[in-house]
Amino acid sequence: MGNYPYFISIILFCLGCLCILTQHNLIKKVIGINIMETGIFLFYVAVGNIRGGVAPIYDPSLPEGILYINPLPSALMLTGIVVSFSVTAFALAIIVKLYNFYGTVYAPDIMRMR
Amino acid sequence: MHLWDTMPFLLIIFTVLTAFITPMFARWKRSVCPYITIVAVTVTFIISCILAYRVFGGEIMHYHVGNWPPPWGIEIFVDELASMMLLLLTGCSMLIILFSIKSLPKEIPPAATGWYYTLFLLTLTAMMGMVITNDLFNLYVMVEVTGMGAVGMVIAKGEKRSTEAALRYLMLATLGSGFLLFGIGFIYQVTGNLNIPYIAVELAAVREQYPYLMWATLSFITVGLGVKSALFPLHIWLPDAHSSAPSPSSAILSGLVVKVYIVSLLRIYAQVFGFEVFLDSYMRYLILLLATLAILGGSLFAFVQLELKRRLAYSTVAQIGYIFLGIGLGTVWGLTAALLHIIIHAFMKICLFLSAGAIYYQTGRKKVTHFSGLGYQMPVTMAAFTVASLSMVGIPLFGGFITKYGLAMGSLEANNPYFIILIVLSGLLNAAYYFPILWQAYFTSGHDVKMTMDKVPFTMLLPIVLMAIGIIYMGIFPGGPLSFIERVVIRVIL
Repeated sequence: MGNYPYFISIILFCLGCLCILTQHNLIKKVIGINIMETGIFLFYVAVGNIRGGVAPIYDPSLPEGILYINPLPSALMLTGIVVSFSVTAFALAIIVKLYNFYGTVYAPDIMRMR
Repeated sequence: MHLWDTMPFLLIIFTVLTAFITPMFARWKRSVCPYITIVAVTVTFIISCILAYRVFGGEIMHYHVGNWPPPWGIEIFVDELASMMLLLLTGCSMLIILFSIKSLPKEIPPAATGWYYTLFLLTLTAMMGMVITNDLFNLYVMVEVTGMGAVGMVIAKGEKRSTEAALRYLMLATLGSGFLLFGIGFIYQVTGNLNIPYIAVELAAVREQYPYLMWATLSFITVGLGVKSALFPLHIWLPDAHSSAPSPSSAILSGLVVKVYIVSLLRIYAQVFGFEVFLDSYMRYLILLLATLAILGGSLFAFVQLELKRRLAYSTVAQIGYIFLGIGLGTVWGLTAALLHIIIHAFMKICLFLSAGAIYYQTGRKKVTHFSGLGYQMPVTMAAFTVASLSMVGIPLFGGFITKYGLAMGSLEANNPYFIILIVLSGLLNAAYYFPILWQAYFTSGHDVKMTMDKVPFTMLLPIVLMAIGIIYMGIFPGGPLSFIERVVIRVIL
């Protein structure tokens, strides 16, 4: 059971995908994007982590032979978070525009009004 | 470090900087923006010409960003495939911007002009970065920037239809890049590297130990980049987005953006997994199946569309199928045809979409049923349109024939002659939806029509005519491009 973060990340990813593909409310679709990306972030951070490891900063007071975690995946995920943030902002801006056109954020209504 | 060696980096940084300068100039005077953009893209075109000259002289160029050596730093890498794509991207973008100088003010709100060129340049930069990067996470970032820029270029029109199409495009593009990022995560977990040559070495050693993980990785990356390059069942965003965008955007989206993802996918297959691993895996058969469905399905959907740009957009879905068919066949001829089709389809689709833009500019017509007499009102545009349509159908002497011939040779090489039937059938289907347009334009206007020249500015006609000349050149003298691409295939992929 030591690998449970991977399971959780896969579950989150699948939930997010399902949310994007099946939800009719556009805001919920955007939330789905965020859930999906959170699953990916969790996966990356779990890849870099070591149980019992410390932050990769040299500290003379720490005992010899201590494990340091891999900082690279966490650093990569900073970029991932920025990308996810900007996609969310962009999608919400487009939804605001659609709301101004149609007066609703419910996708089937928009399809009907077309 | 010498200036010569920093050239691949200059290529990217120059367009990024220009991208953020154009909105400032737009506050002063809107009409200068396209000229600044075209100067920037011309400079990158010249740089990519020099790079191509050096690369085909036998020198592979590496550049370490920030002087960090490869396993940790980002490496920029220009090989034959990259320099071919750089030439295509910058050359075609130059002509599209030339077209947009006069056509864009009619299609988007005037306040958006400066920002439109920002988006254009950012998309171009990210596409170039995607082609020349040698780092998988960097590839993901470039994919994401291209996606956002492309969505921005769709929405620039500000109408109801384009806004809706843009939202759907953004959702599916994000889904695709999520899959891609997860696939890269798997690779990173197994190999601990992000630099492509290092991954390849590690992966070759541990591939046998994790067969299921390899399948999962291959599937995730194929789905991720497949959504973005509109492989058949994942193409649902494409027709709306490409047909509701302004004409220059449609041209760059259909002609260049979807191809760059295919090149990245091909590079991942060939350089990360190894091309023979891809050919042995189930993924090859899946891609052949989806390509077949794309060729048939895209053509059939295109057949029932009455709006010209929608018809062209569905035709893109079918033509993407050709490129994937060539990759799936996996022989020298098949891959050569796939890469050649990337170039020729870019020429044809840009020519067709720009012609559609010119027709809309002069007459305001969008439906193919309203094209009566257009062959006499706009002879130059319609001549170019005819050349591109004939090339799409695959008539000899036009570029499209060469790729169809190459694919047929590839399917013989792969011992799979059934695909020749598919290729002939798809040529007929293409004829079924392109020839009615030509018939409508030339033969349905009665006898008393006068021939007049196009009332379209010269800067709009020139790109269309140049693209048509390019198609004919490719069709009559295919030897030069073919040997060029064969070298790319042998050196980079196989």
